[in-house]
Amino acid sequence: MIARFTLVVTTLCVTLAANAQNDCATAIPITVGTYVVDTVDGAQIPLPVCATGGNTATNGEWYTYTPSEDRSLTVTTDLPENLDLDTRFHVYTGTCGNLVCYDGDDDAGSGYLSYALFNVLAGVTYTIAFDDRWDADGFTFQLIEGEPFLEAVTFTTQSLSTQGSVRAIVDMDSDGLDDVVSVTTSNININYQLAGGGFNTVNLPNDTVANSPSWSLCAGDLDGNGRMDLLYGGGSGVTLMFANENSTAFSDSSYAQYVFCQRTNMVDINNDGHLDAFLCHDVAPNVYLMNDGEGQFIWNQGGLGDTQGGGNYGSIWTDFDNDGDQDMFIAKCRGGNPVVSTNQLHRNNGDGTFTEVAALFNLADPMQTWSSAWGDFDNDGDMDALVGASSFAAGGHKLMRNDGTTFTDITAGSGWDEFLGTSIEHITHDFNNDGWLDVMSGSGTIMINQGGMVFEANPVGFDVGAVGDLNDDGALDLMNSSTARINNGNSNNWLRIRTVGTVSNPNGIGARIILTTASGQQIRDVRSGDGFRYMSTITAHFGLGTDEEVLQVEVRWPSGIVNVLTDVDINTTMTIVEEISTDVRESILSEVLVYPVPANDVIQVTGSGVTQAPVRVFNAAGGLVLQGTLSGERLDVSTLSSGFYLLEVGTAAGAVRRSFTKH
Amino acid sequence: MTQRLTILLFSALALTGCRKDTLEEEPQAPIDPGTPSGTGVRFEPAQVPYPVLSTYRFFTGGLKDQTPNSGVLPYEPITALFSDYAHKFRFVWMPAGAKASYAGDHDVLDFPESSVLIKTFYYDNVLPDQDRRIIETRLLFKRSGSWYFADYVWNEDQTEAYLDMNGSITPVTFVDDGGTQRTVQYRIPSAAECQTCHKIQFDPIPIGPKPQNLNSNYSYADGVKNQLEKWVEMGYLQPGYPSNIMTTVKWDDATQPLDLRVRSYLDMNCAHCHADQRHCNYRPMRFAFNESDDLVNLGVCVEPDDPVAPQYTQIVARGNPNRSMMHYRLSETDETVRMPLLGRTVVHEEGLELVREWIESLPGTCP
Repeated sequence: MIARFTLVVTTLCVTLAANAQNDCATAIPITVGTYVVDTVDGAQIPLPVCATGGNTATNGEWYTYTPSEDRSLTVTTDLPENLDLDTRFHVYTGTCGNLVCYDGDDDAGSGYLSYALFNVLAGVTYTIAFDDRWDADGFTFQLIEGEPFLEAVTFTTQSLSTQGSVRAIVDMDSDGLDDVVSVTTSNININYQLAGGGFNTVNLPNDTVANSPSWSLCAGDLDGNGRMDLLYGGGSGVTLMFANENSTAFSDSSYAQYVFCQRTNMVDINNDGHLDAFLCHDVAPNVYLMNDGEGQFIWNQGGLGDTQGGGNYGSIWTDFDNDGDQDMFIAKCRGGNPVVSTNQLHRNNGDGTFTEVAALFNLADPMQTWSSAWGDFDNDGDMDALVGASSFAAGGHKLMRNDGTTFTDITAGSGWDEFLGTSIEHITHDFNNDGWLDVMSGSGTIMINQGGMVFEANPVGFDVGAVGDLNDDGALDLMNSSTARINNGNSNNWLRIRTVGTVSNPNGIGARIILTTASGQQIRDVRSGDGFRYMSTITAHFGLGTDEEVLQVEVRWPSGIVNVLTDVDINTTMTIVEEISTDVRESILSEVLVYPVPANDVIQVTGSGVTQAPVRVFNAAGGLVLQGTLSGERLDVSTLSSGFYLLEVGTAAGAVRRSFTKH
Repeated sequence: MTQRLTILLFSALALTGCRKDTLEEEPQAPIDPGTPSGTGVRFEPAQVPYPVLSTYRFFTGGLKDQTPNSGVLPYEPITALFSDYAHKFRFVWMPAGAKASYAGDHDVLDFPESSVLIKTFYYDNVLPDQDRRIIETRLLFKRSGSWYFADYVWNEDQTEAYLDMNGSITPVTFVDDGGTQRTVQYRIPSAAECQTCHKIQFDPIPIGPKPQNLNSNYSYADGVKNQLEKWVEMGYLQPGYPSNIMTTVKWDDATQPLDLRVRSYLDMNCAHCHADQRHCNYRPMRFAFNESDDLVNLGVCVEPDDPVAPQYTQIVARGNPNRSMMHYRLSETDETVRMPLLGRTVVHEEGLELVREWIESLPGTCP
């Protein structure tokens, strides 16, 4: 009815001053109605680009729209008279000298026609600009007003200066703020998030490495030097990139062996306190690199998903059986071979061995999937799974509820049965901070968790990228290529938790966090590597809804240590350091002795758990002068000049400091 | 024990050329092919793959000249797979008395036990000296009813090739047939990469030697002849196969209809994955020559499962290559976007142009 009315208006309006809309300054104010553009020939190219398709337009046509009250607005060229045409438009707020993308579209209409529906606020001027990215032919467009609609989550586009493939949002410098990492084979580009907002862009060139993270990247502090290292999963092999002690350079270590990498993860597979790396292999048994704690990452192939022919696409590590260790699910895919494409669940036996139990838990599905999202979707204390279809050729998306002894397929009626987008990426986060984990999937859609295992499609118009908080506002943002998608947020409360392991691995990967508010409990597993390609923040993120207080945060570390915190602020990022209980700590720490005093070329350190322990030596001015690990219980200090020094020994109970004097 | 002895003997030969000549000049009693001594092809099923290529005696004279030994027959598919502009020599060998049989126009010939398919990849006009560089020789051989891969990587002197199933990358800079200088990071496949394309379910298979690809003339040393007829003449193919074989065309033969050229190109370059039972059968395309007369199987007006970049609204958008995922993937070198997935690191510009021309020729627009 509204549309019909509009069409009548159409015939009345039409030709406005023919050349007035050629640039932003002469944009024509319009309201609801239908308008005809003769040719896209205005001299000003609409920039920034707020739709897909790149920035190769050469001309534009400009309009403005200023609603008198809050409304929704539809801008569309999806009209019968535009059959066979190919249009694109951008919607801006701001002034001509400083246009800010608000919305825009390329192809949401039928064929190559454009359509966008968005909310607008009274009194704000929106600039609408069409371009000739695809063709300059004239066309007709309509503006339609409606009631404002509820949007669970919306994003604003920003562009960021990146270089190469944008692969990660992760806190590279341990300042609690997520940074953006993009790479080429000879450069690592880091956009360090600044405390007051914005980024400091740093490029760290490296010798050209054998592999690029074309298929996936993951991050973690592999060598325990306090800095984030990277893993590049390439099409024919794997490269590790180690950050130096002040993150000013990366050194590489590439493996000669062939791996057709897919998802990669960092996780402490044998729970020895050192992060290992896991690599899905597309066409052969999976590979894992075991960290010996002394800088060696030992190649292993076999024992963690050995299907002949591979088919391993999306590994994700999570504690599905709540026994305190990390299990692994593999989303699998392979044409014409249901043996290879059957998903696997590798249960950690707790002793460094794993048993494949997918069939036992009703997860041995031969569907074609490249990734699954694991989270406690119903907040009942265990990890459920959304196994996302990359193709419907062998079945659709599967929402699998963890019932302890089995997983129950509850797809029917969940919203996932009616969602027809397919994707290689499925990730779960609480994008609207309401305390329920959402799932981002294909067709530019976030499936918003309504509670009760019901999901509702919330189109956002872009696909999965790396996820993190790019402006420290507690609302999760994304990076697609060099485009930052900044979550517009809402009034819900939140808490981000950064885990620092001491006995466990340095990032606390594999830790289970249990957060309690008046509404109940939520859980997260600290992870490196989810979805298919990207690395999303390691910092755990909780939406709190309208709860104003966190009653308790419990961290169950991979080491078995449990820390419970009750005095917790909200709407902030807190760092939790793995703490061994004080009485145990004191008894261990008091044993540590350093001799001889004064020392000559070698000092001897004794005490429980100091063998091969990491050490740092500081001079009297507090400067770091030596770093390494004990050789047995000995440390070579021959390079130090005479004087007074402080030795820090990293033990299982934490750091111990002892002074010594060098002759 | 036998194998070890063989290697030692071979090394001795390689080190002393005159000794080899002496051996060859000795009078030879007729010996069945496939035995360690003699001059015919050597193929002992229990001993292969040999550590070096020369042991098979597929070639006479210098190994790099690729002059086929008796019983080693060159062949060429009508349309070849694009492999980073590499040239290829292809040969087939079968033991005396063994024959392949016809299994269907579009099916690989049913090869007998101990058949060997030999494919040598090389470049001409390789810089700096503008000479030929042979990179690798790949074998597919049949033993106990199953096919096996063996890849031999050539040495710098081009005198020998060594069994290597680990895969590697070697840069090659050359001037192509059109006079353009190109550099490729040539990928020598590992066993797992061979298997990725050459398989059905878990089983390795050949791809090229199908009647649809061989039913064409070839210039043999003794004159031009239809390849299938030549195979019959050699005793390598059971006679009596159908006379009306549905045959592909040469992808770059401008005298042939555009759609047949494209379908032939897509068959050879894409159908080993995009067909039933194959690596990527879960995507909707079906590129085999006998299935691609249906435009839907070619992806015309079919939306991609994986958007990759959202402006590519269909796999093939009628009349609009810039909106076609097929065109985009063929134009990309990013290993997560490019197609084919393996065997190509640079764009096949002429093949891409063919596909562009075909897409533009499709009338109308997709709904």
